[in-house]
Amino acid sequence: MSLALQQLRIYRHDTCMLSLDCCIAPGEVVSVTGPSGSGKSTLLNVVMGLQELPFRYDGEIMLNGKPLDAVAPHKRNLGMLYQDPLLFEHLTAGENIAFAVPPAARRGQTKTALRDSITAQLDKVGLGDLYTRPVQTLSGGQQARVALLRTLASKPQAVLLDEPFSKLDTTRRAQIRDWVFATLREQQLPALLVTHDNDDVRAAGGRIIEV
Amino acid sequence: MMTRFERLTIGLRAGLLVLLALPVTAGLVGVLLPALGYLPALGQSAWSLSAFRALFDYAGVTTMMWLSLSTGLAATCIALCGALALVAVFHQQRWLQQIQRWLSPLLVLPHAAAAIALLFVLSPSGLLARLVYAGESGALPPQWGVPYDAHGISIILALALKELPFLFLMVLSVLSQPQMAARVAGYRKVTQSLGYAPVTGFITIILPILYPHLRLPVLAVLAYATANVEVPLILGPNNPPTLAVAVVHWFNHVDLSLRFQAAAAAIVQVGVTLTAVILWLVAERLIALLWRRRSMQGRRHSGVISITAMAWLTLLSVILAGITMLGSTVSWSLATYWPFPALLPDALTLQHWQTGLPEMAAPLRNTLALGLAVSVTAVSVVLLALEGQQALRWHARHRWLHIDAVILPATLYLPLLVPGVAFLFGLVWFQQVYFADVVWLPVYISHLLYVLPYAYIALAVPYQRFDQRYVQVAYGLGKSPLAVFLHVKLPLLFAPVLVALALGLAISFSQYLPTLLPGGGRLPTVTTEAVAMASGSSRRLSAVYVLVQTALPLLAFVLAWWLPGRIFNPAARHTVKESKL
Amino acid sequence: MTRGRQVQRCSTRGTAHQWLSVILAVVMLAPFSVWAQTGPTVHFHAWGGSAQVNSYLSWVSEQVAARHGITLKHVKLADTSDAVSRVLAEKAAGNHTRGSVDLIWINGENFAAMDRHDLLLSDWVASLPNFALTNPSANPAMVTDFGLPTRGQEAPWGKAALVFYYNARYVDSPPQSLPELLTFARRYPGRFTYPLPTDYLGVSFLKYALMSLHQGDHAVFNQPVSQINFDRLTAPLWAFLDALHPLMWRQGDYAVRQASELQRLMSGGDLLLAFSFTAAEIPSAVARFDLPPTIRTYAMQDGSLGNVHFIGIPYNTSVPDAAKTVVNFLLSPRAQAEKQKTAVWGDQTVLDLQLLSEAERAAFQPESPSPAALPADAFSAILPEPHASWTDALREAWFARYGQRL
Repeated sequence: MSLALQQLRIYRHDTCMLSLDCCIAPGEVVSVTGPSGSGKSTLLNVVMGLQELPFRYDGEIMLNGKPLDAVAPHKRNLGMLYQDPLLFEHLTAGENIAFAVPPAARRGQTKTALRDSITAQLDKVGLGDLYTRPVQTLSGGQQARVALLRTLASKPQAVLLDEPFSKLDTTRRAQIRDWVFATLREQQLPALLVTHDNDDVRAAGGRIIEV
Repeated sequence: MMTRFERLTIGLRAGLLVLLALPVTAGLVGVLLPALGYLPALGQSAWSLSAFRALFDYAGVTTMMWLSLSTGLAATCIALCGALALVAVFHQQRWLQQIQRWLSPLLVLPHAAAAIALLFVLSPSGLLARLVYAGESGALPPQWGVPYDAHGISIILALALKELPFLFLMVLSVLSQPQMAARVAGYRKVTQSLGYAPVTGFITIILPILYPHLRLPVLAVLAYATANVEVPLILGPNNPPTLAVAVVHWFNHVDLSLRFQAAAAAIVQVGVTLTAVILWLVAERLIALLWRRRSMQGRRHSGVISITAMAWLTLLSVILAGITMLGSTVSWSLATYWPFPALLPDALTLQHWQTGLPEMAAPLRNTLALGLAVSVTAVSVVLLALEGQQALRWHARHRWLHIDAVILPATLYLPLLVPGVAFLFGLVWFQQVYFADVVWLPVYISHLLYVLPYAYIALAVPYQRFDQRYVQVAYGLGKSPLAVFLHVKLPLLFAPVLVALALGLAISFSQYLPTLLPGGGRLPTVTTEAVAMASGSSRRLSAVYVLVQTALPLLAFVLAWWLPGRIFNPAARHTVKESKL
Repeated sequence: MTRGRQVQRCSTRGTAHQWLSVILAVVMLAPFSVWAQTGPTVHFHAWGGSAQVNSYLSWVSEQVAARHGITLKHVKLADTSDAVSRVLAEKAAGNHTRGSVDLIWINGENFAAMDRHDLLLSDWVASLPNFALTNPSANPAMVTDFGLPTRGQEAPWGKAALVFYYNARYVDSPPQSLPELLTFARRYPGRFTYPLPTDYLGVSFLKYALMSLHQGDHAVFNQPVSQINFDRLTAPLWAFLDALHPLMWRQGDYAVRQASELQRLMSGGDLLLAFSFTAAEIPSAVARFDLPPTIRTYAMQDGSLGNVHFIGIPYNTSVPDAAKTVVNFLLSPRAQAEKQKTAVWGDQTVLDLQLLSEAERAAFQPESPSPAALPADAFSAILPEPHASWTDALREAWFARYGQRL
């Protein structure tokens, strides 16, 4: 699995604001840093296929050797983590994850089996008894963990991270950060991290691109 | 310390509640008393249930109740599904603005005008039949079942067509609220990154979060659809009609003893509307439950095809209906002879306009004077009441804020949820006893009841979005709350205030029952005249009335959109150009 | 919403809101200035479903304003009984001097109701100078309304008789009598209907049918219903209607509420045969394009129901003198001649032309006839209106038999 951004140039109106060329290997976290307004978040939107006018780009985005440019955002198989966990507030923590499990992954599985497997995943990160908890009652750190589990449950081929730790308090931040990067490495997922926090960059351990 | 201005605004906020709740409550009492046999003026002061007994002995009464209930529920359901499908499919696409532009004129079209225009299209010698039989010269108009069909299908069509744009724009307004907009944008990205098609993501994740904010407007539509008079009067059956139409007939009957039965029927109408609301709420829960179970199955594309089809079907039918309604109304208003099944009149003439416009002069004056007075009052009261909310936030205890947050929305929707056909008749009774020779005031008040809630809804969002930092900066410069309101807020909120004024005008223009009843027919407006003309002899003159009725609110909105950019703020002209780049 | 941002960017204008608030205050108070009006205002409650009647009344308003300084407001009623019930309600509520209805256009059953409840001023008609021109001593119809003496409570305004009209584009020979009407309905099913009996024209059709079914025995209809065998007399009527209804427009399931709707349905060809109480409204509707040019008017061979319509003044009007002045003007040769013009309304005058001067009489001469107009001498016989009690009796029996319609 790999995510390649080939000769990627992002324009606002007709001005090029960012250009980039890199291939992210499985298990690698490439960090993109730069001042705010340099187009970091736009980069993730472009990779996701969600950019809006006046932004446009040229170059190519390849996932596992296939170009993504003509693929609709929801068919790109890219997981995404934002600075807000964006958990669906009308669902419980467990349901948030269950919602992400693709039909192929649950084929032949009964409802209880699915639930058990999600509980097991939650258990692994110390949230074993939270399946039925409304998400509003979770702490920031708990929400961040549910959000990552939800992203992973959708079986993405690569993960995009948009300042995912900036809203966590400093004591929890390091712990969650290490756990997220460890998990990504363990699952051999290529990841693109956008951040302006040097601690994030250091913990990610991969290449660093300044824009 | 509170300033005098802040006291005034808080007082007015309380006054708004009284202004909305008092007439409705008084009206309900005024109709409940005769329903229970108490009407001393008619020599009856013994409590009894005989009015209800007489009502339920009446042969068609269950059919009437069913007709009111079924047309109301069906119309609301169709309108809501259509509106949601449109938003689900076209959300965050450039199409959405186009659709908004196309649907807005339908929003301001008065119900009566829509019903009459639909009559022109659906009736057997109308445009639809002419399209079907085009070329078969000598053919007689067909004898098909609409309008006036026993199941009220024409009523459902007209109501759905009218309410769909309203609900659609309500959805957009909820989605544009600052907190909601940010959350929805985030959820859209997340659902797509999880592999859900945008439409599926919308209905499974965004809709459940959106709907609670939509519930009150939907219930207001439902209440209106079950209890309105002009649409079933123009398009509905009369063997028997809907309950609300029967109430009006009985109240106006020569035989005064029928007033007791009418009052009982008005109470039953409240029951019918309440039943519809309860059924709706139960169905809501059930659907939510099924929805949730379904959304947990993880299907990434469920509903995409059916909802996209529904959205396009809705869009096409609304546009088609709009074009044919406008086309045939304009044609009739200009037609000389127009034999069936010709698609166009033999020739055109301005004669009907020349007859109609002078006749309309007085009603037009009434309509404009009343609309301006009501709309200006409503917007002023609402602005001060919204300012009162700010004052409460600065000064009041938490408990008061909480009470305010619960009571205000409920009261706001009171006149929209209680069937007008019930409380207006009760009000008329009080009016005949205490203010028999006053014409304008009761009409003015009953119009206010309908305009105030919409003015509040229209202004609450811009007020919420208003950047409080401007206020803080102004306070820092030593300005008083009154000065901030007058010199900072009003000028900055000029555009939304004008839109609210236009909305107020449009709503006042379109009122039928609230004009007819309290005014005792002494205050003809374009709308009451148009409904009277609908049963008149001249389709052509009726078309002229419909067009004037439609042009009035449209004009108000065009002015509201045009004025702030063109006359008052030359600076804005510059910004408009810039933002188009 | 880019607009909010645009507005926020621009400069504050100090004076704008100051004059704005002055405008607001003026606008909010504007409607109430109506109270300050001078000169008497007369509210004329009259059925408003006919364009011709409405524009004739606009003309009358201009005339009385110019001649007598009276503001005449035509309150257009969908149904005259609305105004009757309004006066009745005012009486019940104790409003005896400030009534909202100053003049009312009535006859028949509505008059009977107002007479029964003493809702009209009485003994004022004879005092109108122009009333003498109707020659009441020679014309008992001027002081009798559906068998009831008017007792000076209402002044005659116009005369009418039931005429039929058909669309000659589709129909060669219209029915000439009631039995032929049934034959017509069989040949053209769904192309004829009559309004609900709550409508004036609707109950008139029932009366015509009833009297036609009792040819040569009309004296019995001058008696109140209570004194005759209603069931026996009406049995043939119900038999006829039972046969007719399934052959009517929408199988008789939806009946139009008002006579004016008949004309609208004739206009598009939905109906091929209809009837009216004002013969002249048909050619004038053709002239206004509201009816096709192939419309022809005629009278039934088995008799035409005829009556007079009146103007009353409710007892609680606050402007009785101004109301009487208006009625006197309505009875003037000038106003009556204007009303009789086919192009205006075409309502037959109640004045006795023999009592007018040569010049006044000339104004009543007919203009060149339209092919859609009723031919001269079309009436073979006039059937006088039955006693007013028949209206209610027929209506109740009809609803009892065919179900309540509203």
